[in-house]
Amino acid sequence: MTAPVTVSTPTGSIYDLGYRGYDGPRLGRTHAIRSLFTHSLRSAYGIGRGGRAKIAPIIFGAMAVLPAIAIVGILTLAARFGVGERFTEQSPIRYDTYFSTISTIVVLFCAAQAPELFGRDQRYGVLSLYFARALRRSDYALARIGGFAAALLILELLPQFILFVGRALVSPDIVGAVLDDLPSLPPILIQGLLSAALLGGLAMTVSAYTPRRAYATAGIIALFIIPSIISGVVAGLGSSTIGTWLTLFSPTSVLDGTNAVLFGSDFGSEFFFISLPDWAYFAAAIAGIGGTIAITLRRFALITA
Amino acid sequence: MALIAIRSLTKRYPGGVTALDGLSVEIEPGIVGLVGSNGAGKSTLLKVLLGLIAPTSGEATVFDMDVRRRGTDIRQFVGYMPEHDCLPPDASATDFVSHMALISGLPRVAARERTAEVLRHVGLYEERYRAIGGYSTGMKQRVKLAQALVHDPKLLLLDEPTNGLDPAGRDEMLELVERTGSEFGIAVIVASHLLGEIERVCNYLVAIEAGRLLRAAPLGSFTEQTGTLAVEVEEGSEALAARLSAQGLEAIADGRAVLIAISDERPYDIVRDTIVELGVPLIRIEQRRHKLEDLFRDGPVVEPPVAVAAPPPAPPAAPQVRS
Repeated sequence: MTAPVTVSTPTGSIYDLGYRGYDGPRLGRTHAIRSLFTHSLRSAYGIGRGGRAKIAPIIFGAMAVLPAIAIVGILTLAARFGVGERFTEQSPIRYDTYFSTISTIVVLFCAAQAPELFGRDQRYGVLSLYFARALRRSDYALARIGGFAAALLILELLPQFILFVGRALVSPDIVGAVLDDLPSLPPILIQGLLSAALLGGLAMTVSAYTPRRAYATAGIIALFIIPSIISGVVAGLGSSTIGTWLTLFSPTSVLDGTNAVLFGSDFGSEFFFISLPDWAYFAAAIAGIGGTIAITLRRFALITA
Repeated sequence: MALIAIRSLTKRYPGGVTALDGLSVEIEPGIVGLVGSNGAGKSTLLKVLLGLIAPTSGEATVFDMDVRRRGTDIRQFVGYMPEHDCLPPDASATDFVSHMALISGLPRVAARERTAEVLRHVGLYEERYRAIGGYSTGMKQRVKLAQALVHDPKLLLLDEPTNGLDPAGRDEMLELVERTGSEFGIAVIVASHLLGEIERVCNYLVAIEAGRLLRAAPLGSFTEQTGTLAVEVEEGSEALAARLSAQGLEAIADGRAVLIAISDERPYDIVRDTIVELGVPLIRIEQRRHKLEDLFRDGPVVEPPVAVAAPPPAPPAAPQVRS
């Protein structure tokens, strides 16, 4: 505790302990951005926001890791009965299928939590306090988007991590199992990053435009689901080429595509009877990420606060 | 070098509204009142000084830094208390204020210490751990002040700090503002449309109207020019006014009251003697001054901001200057 810099006024009230100035370091803009990033990540999971705010993230988090825990448990049982090898090969829940297995949960997480970050700041007027600090408007938007995307990344990679550790521990030859699974790591990480950035960016863009939570939630769900329905219908009507290219407007289908390319596996969806060139999915994902960030930056550059 | 220098500052919003119209003024450290009616451009001026709104033309510097180019540098040393609600209801005061300290660039440990310090200063104790949503308006205003003070700014911009408070709450808030300005050595600018409140804490006044400077002068010169003595009587106000006018005072009857312009000490004795002489039943004599409209009757006057550079003379303990 540093000594008071000011001399207190000679009265007995508790008010008059004397005001101390602050002479320590002021870490400025980068520190502010980092703090806001951390705050966004924590807020996405309801940390620091009271009990009720934690319910949804806990439920979605549990649902996301449940398949991984279940499959590890089954693998353990199978190994005990000596059929571990065979079951591992036939398991429906693998690294390459996990992202699409939990994609609905990730979408719901986006719809529930993204409006909390951007919407609250606008609804309660906190935005003007952020802008009145050592931040630029773009810093604010990027830190918030980054924090939310990091929260999504955790949601998507934690189950994969459980799967990875579980498979290694169940195997009689731990080192061999780890070495076997190592080639899967780069696709897991790249797919996780693409998915978190694209879904997170889209969800945050929608919620940047309305302080109303319900509108943002509905908008996010619509954005994730309607394009895939449209492209499916168009493809189903026989216009398969257009339908296939239309899938590039559906974020979840684009991510199915990058997933299939990265893991070298089949497409999960029945709509992919004509496959697009590999680069198309990545181009669409990166265009989506860049576009949503640009739109959000523009939104906060123009917003009055 | 002035704390704030503003030269022919103009802000036109898209849509044709001119919030600031060629405003020029220099402001020295002290407690400065920024007065003007609603829509006069007070909030816009504060936001320009924060670098939140880019001026259409003209220049403004804070701490000798251009508001257009060095907004983030300026804002690191400025605290801002907006007029509107700006607190998330589901966070506690401690969490929220320390979060704001981090965003202001304070390290984590310092942020926690400063939060405790500043919440104590504004008078929030046990309730600081409860969610802000359950606070009274007075407590919310204190939290708003605390978040503006938490990073120990060199300049504090307060936009209508007594908004929505009851009379007791207003007194407490004004006392806090005065302590902040006079004891902590923080320059304060208080924007308000209530001159009667501002004159209690400020030592310099800047009056603006329709985005133009009306007057900028030490507080004393405002009060001298706008003094009115109201004498309320049971009956005979007309006669009293006539008699006072005959003795060379500017007196007019207004219902049961007689309004007398005062520019020096002379009228007080004359009024007393005349009332005794006429034997009118007196109800009360009161000073009516500092009505905002009175300020706006005169043309723009700028007096050099000399008196504010020195700390205010009043309180028994001399104002401390922090090293």
